[in-house]
Amino acid sequence: MLYQLIGVITGLIGIIISLKRFKEGKTSPTVFVIWLLAWLSLIIISISPYTTSYFANIMGIGRGLDLILILAIIGAYYLLFRIYIMIENIEMELTRLVRELALREEDEE
Amino acid sequence: MVKKMNPKDITVIVPAYNEENTILQVLSELKDRGYSVIVVDDGSTDSTSELLQKFKDDDRVRVYRHIINRGLGAALKTGMEAALFRRPSYIVTFDADGQHDPDDIENVCKPLTENKVDVVIGQRNFNEMPLSRKIGNLIMNLITLIFYGVWFPDSQSGLRAFTYNAAMRINVKDRGYGVSSEIISEIKKSGLRLMGVPIKTIYTPQTISKGTNLAIGIKILIKMIINILKKL
Repeated sequence: MLYQLIGVITGLIGIIISLKRFKEGKTSPTVFVIWLLAWLSLIIISISPYTTSYFANIMGIGRGLDLILILAIIGAYYLLFRIYIMIENIEMELTRLVRELALREEDEE
Repeated sequence: MVKKMNPKDITVIVPAYNEENTILQVLSELKDRGYSVIVVDDGSTDSTSELLQKFKDDDRVRVYRHIINRGLGAALKTGMEAALFRRPSYIVTFDADGQHDPDDIENVCKPLTENKVDVVIGQRNFNEMPLSRKIGNLIMNLITLIFYGVWFPDSQSGLRAFTYNAAMRINVKDRGYGVSSEIISEIKKSGLRLMGVPIKTIYTPQTISKGTNLAIGIKILIKMIINILKKL
């Protein structure tokens, strides 16, 4: 099936990119493992979509697809939140930097 | 104990962002009255920065420049840090758009010299305010009440006076216009004595175009809700 092929290829590309970033020291080991798990599950689910039904039943959710959608939405929101906090921190650091430069420049004169 | 007011004991912080039309007049009026002035040029993109070069060798007017625009709250904080470093008895914040009357500085500092309160905020007359600004300011007063639990008749006023010790205890984080509400919240949290003193407001097309209008009010509201969510 086409969607299976797309899923597996996307997963493999994802793993390659994550691995490359990890080797370059751009991601921490924890984040790397999380991404690896995410890509691997994408590949497994693509090859055998019915595995999701198994987990869905365990969690009391009717269909496997529902479980995936629910997890995907939660995951996406979590990422959004993380990104928001990250940007906020960067803004704060930037402001501190700009302030420090302003104070130094004037008082050195 | 009543101390006599000496302009030299007062440092006036003027945050300025693109105020080329008013900045020189505002600064010279403050200087003429003998105050020490700290200007924070918040990354202005008009000729404000060039105009401020005039004060390069002036000891009474110190210019601090943010290389990029970081907002009113950030500029005020930079000004506060610079002012506290010089240990004045009183610190005043004063808008650069020419809406305040420099003679009001004495009025807002008086309760401090008389040791009645620790912080004074200049209260503008809402009846003289153009309608859009009036609504914007009323909404901000409500927001200050809801989010910080403090009612103040003019929470967004830019003319404020602090004793040195009070200014030391105020630590603001908001980078934008929300800082005015945050200052009031900090005053309450630190248990400082606050008082409002009526001040004059000079309305010109410039002072009306800037400041707290409805759009800014809504922006501040959204930011405050996010801040609360972040603390959960």
